[in-house]
Amino acid sequence: MQQIVNGVFTGSIYALFAIGFTLVFGILHRLNLAHSAVFAAGAFIGIELAENAGMPIWLAIPSVLVAGGVLGLVIERLAFRPLGGRHDAHFAGLISSIAVGAMFLALLQARYGPDTRRFAPDTFPQHRYDVLGVSVSLLQLTVVAVSLVLMVGLSVLVARSRLGRAMRAVAENPHAARVLGINVDRVTAATFALSSALGAVAGVLFALSVNSAQLSMGFNIELKGLAVIIVGGMGSLKGAMVGGLALGLIEVFAVTQIGSSWRDVIAFGLLIAILLVRPQGLFGSRKVREV
Amino acid sequence: MTTDASPALQVDDLVVAYGRVQAVRGVSFTVPSGGLVALVGANGAGKSSILNALAGLVRPRSGSVRFGGRDVTRRPAHELVAAGLVQVPEGREVLATMTVDENLRLGAWHRRSDADERIDEMYGRFPVLAERRALQAGALSGGEQQMLAIARALVAGPSVLLMDEPSMGLAPKIVDEVFAVIAEIQAAGTTVVLVEQNARRALRAATYGYVLESGTVAHEGPADDLLADRRVIQAYLGIE
Ligand SMILES: Nc1ncnc2c1ncn2[C@@H]1O[C@H](COP(=O)(O)OP(=O)(O)OP(=O)(O)O)[C@@H](O)[C@H]1O
Ligand SMILES: [Mg+2]
Repeated sequence: MQQIVNGVFTGSIYALFAIGFTLVFGILHRLNLAHSAVFAAGAFIGIELAENAGMPIWLAIPSVLVAGGVLGLVIERLAFRPLGGRHDAHFAGLISSIAVGAMFLALLQARYGPDTRRFAPDTFPQHRYDVLGVSVSLLQLTVVAVSLVLMVGLSVLVARSRLGRAMRAVAENPHAARVLGINVDRVTAATFALSSALGAVAGVLFALSVNSAQLSMGFNIELKGLAVIIVGGMGSLKGAMVGGLALGLIEVFAVTQIGSSWRDVIAFGLLIAILLVRPQGLFGSRKVREV
Repeated sequence: MTTDASPALQVDDLVVAYGRVQAVRGVSFTVPSGGLVALVGANGAGKSSILNALAGLVRPRSGSVRFGGRDVTRRPAHELVAAGLVQVPEGREVLATMTVDENLRLGAWHRRSDADERIDEMYGRFPVLAERRALQAGALSGGEQQMLAIARALVAGPSVLLMDEPSMGLAPKIVDEVFAVIAEIQAAGTTVVLVEQNARRALRAATYGYVLESGTVAHEGPADDLLADRRVIQAYLGIE
């Protein structure tokens, strides 16, 4: 039971990271490999706001959300829009997003140096609750709640809102969307902003949960996020949510039941096994991309 | 209409090229307000290229487009749709995985305040769409999809409607329905530019026509004259 709590806790951060990652893929059919740099930037910006600007954490998290959105707009402008007209735009965007991600990390390093950064010990209240013999911290509850609210919010936005409808139209047929008078460039930018906003919050939540942030923190989760969205079904929001939570649970069980050195073997082994059974991923469909 | 009113569309010396291929080589024409002008011609004559240039979907290489007296050359499609210049694209381009209702809501993208009324009006006008409103557009028949494409353009509230081969691939009975709808649209005061390979049918519906041949205007005139013109009959209409 304790392990389930811990697994959901880690998994919700994976899921939040992955849902933003898969959103850009599902709507725009592009992989944004700067997403991991946004994750790291979210952590550093959160620490900056809480420690240097003295912002309470409940205000710092929404600020990171906004800052992440701005980073998303920058990524779209620098890495994707200039190359949009090329016939190899998918591949070109992949490469240039790696470059923009590296630039973000270089800027972070220029400002903060290479050392690990931490929140002050009193940033987050240290409450613990015992629920049915399981110990849950306020931090864990907050991380899971914030992740769930953002993920459900995103799903509702895509499924029901005016912007979400336009996003789905662009996903299915950008030409038809233009014919209807939708400003496809703007919808594209909004998609990147939403994606990066969630990626940045995932970063600050991760930094809170391990109380540290490193420049390299995005690399590990980038691979996991990629695995999660492939297993969930490329472009599927539901798949990213379920996949992220599943990965968190699998990791915790692997560590406690078998040993921590087996964690990645078990986790990625299971993901490969799922793909062997369902090549299109858990929630992916072969014909039409589910969004 | 007063004599000094500007035409709905005024196209001057339009050139559209894809790389080195010139699809439209200096086409000029005028569409009077409230008129129904047909552009006819064979496969590859450049009809869609002209409509796409008018709709802001393709950037013309040179030439100008005036819409209601205003120069709109190279304005983006979303601005033109908001201003009332709307296209019903070739091949219908309905969003197959979205419902009929969502397709119509997307058509009303620029009508934030009166979207609901306009969509309801379309349901009144096209009862088959009302019946199928919750179905995915991809599940509709070809004729129903064409009606959806037309309704989706009409909810935008166009003053000029650009229709690209609305009868393509439809059974004769459905073609009749489509042309009946086009006549209604014009009767309601909307200016229509109709592109068709079905030249005879289009010219019968139109007030004025242009016959295109490899990117240039080969013949033009009042539609009745073109229908009676022996050169046009021989080259494009055939013996009925
Ligand atoms: N996107 C494009 N890229 C390159 N060439 C194109 C493109 N679109 C059209 N063409 C070419 O431009 C010419 C005119 O095409 P266009 O589609 O305008 O003709 P059309 O009269 O609409 O034909 P159809 O009756 O088949 O629809 C053709 O030779 C076509 O191959
Ligand atoms: Mg055509």
